[in-house]
Amino acid sequence: MSSLMSFVPSWHIWVLSIAAFLVPFLLSKIFARVHDFIKSGGNFKTASAPSPSSSSVERMPFSGDYAADIRSVLHVIGENSDLVIRKFPMSKLDAQGTLFYMDGMQQQRELNMRILEFFMFELTRDMLSIPFNGNGLLPFYTLKEATDAIEFSRLVLFGHAGVIVEGVPCGLLIQNPNTSNRAIVEPLSEALLRGPRLGFTEVLSENTSMLRRQGFSEQLEMRSYRIGNTLPKDVVIAYFKDIVNADLLKEVEARVSNIDIDFLADSGYIEQLIEDNYLSPFQQLQNTERPDRVINGLLEGRVAILQDGSPFALIAPATFSMLLQSPEDYYERWIPSSLLRMLRFFAAFLSLLAPSIYISFISFHPGLIPTELVLSIIETRQGVPFPSLIEVLILELAIEILREAGIRLPKPIGPAMGIVGGIIVGDAAVQAGIVSPILVIVVAVTAISSFSMPSYSAGITLRLLRFFGMIFAAILGMFGTILFFLLLCSHLSRLKSFGVSYLTPVSPYRLQDWKDLFIRAPISLMKKRPAMMKTRQERRQT
Amino acid sequence: MFTRTDDKITSSQAAVFLTNTLLGAGILTLPRNVTQTMETPDAWLTILLGGAAMLGIVLLMVKLCLQFPGQTVFQYAGKIIGKFPGKLVGMILILYFISVAGFEIRTLAEVTTFFLLEGTPPEAVVLPFIWVGVYLVLGGINSIARLFQIVLPISILVLLVSFGVSLRLFDINHLRPVLGSGIMPVLRGMKTAILIYAGCEVVLTLVAFVQEPKQAVKAMLGGIAIPIFLYLLTVVFVIGCLSVDSVVTSTWPTIDLVRSFEITGFFIERLEFPFMVIWLMQMFCNFSSFFFQASLGISQIFNVQLRPIIFMLAPAIFIATMLPRSLQDVFTLGDTIGYLGLGMFFLLPLMLSLIWMIRKKGTKGHV
Repeated sequence: MSSLMSFVPSWHIWVLSIAAFLVPFLLSKIFARVHDFIKSGGNFKTASAPSPSSSSVERMPFSGDYAADIRSVLHVIGENSDLVIRKFPMSKLDAQGTLFYMDGMQQQRELNMRILEFFMFELTRDMLSIPFNGNGLLPFYTLKEATDAIEFSRLVLFGHAGVIVEGVPCGLLIQNPNTSNRAIVEPLSEALLRGPRLGFTEVLSENTSMLRRQGFSEQLEMRSYRIGNTLPKDVVIAYFKDIVNADLLKEVEARVSNIDIDFLADSGYIEQLIEDNYLSPFQQLQNTERPDRVINGLLEGRVAILQDGSPFALIAPATFSMLLQSPEDYYERWIPSSLLRMLRFFAAFLSLLAPSIYISFISFHPGLIPTELVLSIIETRQGVPFPSLIEVLILELAIEILREAGIRLPKPIGPAMGIVGGIIVGDAAVQAGIVSPILVIVVAVTAISSFSMPSYSAGITLRLLRFFGMIFAAILGMFGTILFFLLLCSHLSRLKSFGVSYLTPVSPYRLQDWKDLFIRAPISLMKKRPAMMKTRQERRQT
Repeated sequence: MFTRTDDKITSSQAAVFLTNTLLGAGILTLPRNVTQTMETPDAWLTILLGGAAMLGIVLLMVKLCLQFPGQTVFQYAGKIIGKFPGKLVGMILILYFISVAGFEIRTLAEVTTFFLLEGTPPEAVVLPFIWVGVYLVLGGINSIARLFQIVLPISILVLLVSFGVSLRLFDINHLRPVLGSGIMPVLRGMKTAILIYAGCEVVLTLVAFVQEPKQAVKAMLGGIAIPIFLYLLTVVFVIGCLSVDSVVTSTWPTIDLVRSFEITGFFIERLEFPFMVIWLMQMFCNFSSFFFQASLGISQIFNVQLRPIIFMLAPAIFIATMLPRSLQDVFTLGDTIGYLGLGMFFLLPLMLSLIWMIRKKGTKGHV
């Protein structure tokens, strides 16, 4: 009996066992709560104001009375200082007309030379026969008639050029918006040495046309949505209708059309509003500036989301391996591409775990590294007054701050600050005995490794996770680092992006998809679309 | 269906699941355990024989499971031997799983505090380990299987590299004479050689999750063949490199082997470190597998939700981990679990199959 009693653990084991229950229980409760809170949109959901688009219900039809119609248009939008109004006489008609447009949204030269000239000197009564759209005789390519003063005013506000002619009971919208755009430039965040130099711009129609121009296919379909309560914006979902999985498409459409927000400033808003897990550090949609990348994604059976005003398209679903792939892998020959890809996996590993491994080796297991190395490290660390965690944190934080500052600085100053910050501060820190030179190497390798991530968002994730890894390592050494790695893997294996497990094709094993994972097999071997996307066509057409 | 809502795993995942459940503490202690009972270098023969026996047992289990597609042993045991005895069998299985899980973590804590974190109380190692396990197990069998599939290739790679590098210590004479003392020691060792497969009861639940039951036999046999092969390799190399005498006196002979040589000119001179890393990850897989089986059992027997059970089981496993007072206790517990396991994975499926066959015959006669 007494020997049995000796097996009964002491009280502190019982206390700890309560902790064994409470910690995961409470954490999961908190996380579930926070996730639901974010998903439901916090407290704002209940207070969601009726959308102001209800004004479109209001109607104010054109009366046909010229002066009254002008007044009603001015009543709606006349307060705007950028509204340009030009009254003109029409010689052949012997009547008055008024041109409305918003300053900067039309090419003035064109209006002057062609349109006003036409109206003032060429327009005849016959040409104004109604209806205009069908067999109209007016020489305008995009002619629309607005029977409602409010609709007319709205479209003028959005950039159309509108004309009201005496004796005609409706407004004529003669020109689509024609604003000045930024030039198409090489994608900044995803520059390649070899491959198309084309990058998306902020104009949706230009972006969709870039996709269209990638190739001739009647299967590329784009559906447009207007999203935003106060300031609606056009959002386009693009896909290949003979490739994409119907369920995936439905899911994406449902999520996009359910977005409830005032204003979408960038596609990053969409990404954050439709992702699966709000609390994951990993991005669950891929963003890209490159049309070629989008098209490649679409051909794999993915869906792209483009938004007016954002040069970043989103590709869904995203998987972990996509974060480490660069389009260039496919443009270069397969042997160097495969090696580069493996290098990137290694770099990701380094940028995630190098500081943790340093901490656990230095503070916990110096016996596991070669003796000479230990000796030299210890020698250089002799003057350092801090434990290795603090030492690493000092330098890592310094690097992060430098990097953050480098983004903000104008181009001419940036490199100079890099030199001052990186070289001088680093060297001075070593000289002053705050950090050891080995650590400078470790931190530099880590930072450079994280630069090698093809996508900035992926690099940011690894940067962030690195600090958690360091804390784990500081508490439990190598064991903590392994635990951190396992935790990360557990998280990744639970994470899903639009129903696709984030770890596919690493696991479950789909050997067919492995041709494009760690290595990039010769293109002639990659005849099939990724199995994980469950596409309608399995084979890539040859 | 694009989004999978059913909790099924592919057959390759099932195979990896089984492998990862078995490949654990055994790798470190197996050479000593077997050799201690045999006192001859014929351990590899024993492992082979034990492996062959295991293949048969696993085949039996899969065949039994296939009689009840989509059901785990906790569900169909009641159908075979009646509701109450079925529940009793299920309960014993669950207790067994919990104690195995506890044993695994305790071994891990002992090894970790011995090699990596000297002076750290084992609780500090055990608790976070359990917490991470809870997080993984909450994700369901699919997440677990996915993690296993990441870990296993790394483990096998490191194992093979470690053994490959230790080839230079390998002396075939250490394995001789073959059958020097006759066949009897080999048979005596069989007991220990089968004990390392404790945990293959998971087959009884695993088959229910396999997507294509037709491939279940192949998957499960593959899943058990990998550990048999790795264990065989371990025994051959550890005994071949260290000789019987030093294996018997060493607590963790496999680690001793990996520590016994240095690769000069490499960043990590001793492979002990990567070996420990993969072993820890392997133990994590082991543990989460048993953890999952136990919580699944409870939820199916008592018809309750899985999630709360997982949280409840965490302290139970923690206490089970802390019960042994010393390393000696841990080893005794290991042996006891082995015997229990023998009953579990040998007698249980045999008994269930027999009764099922008799009952099926009986009903056929009536019809």
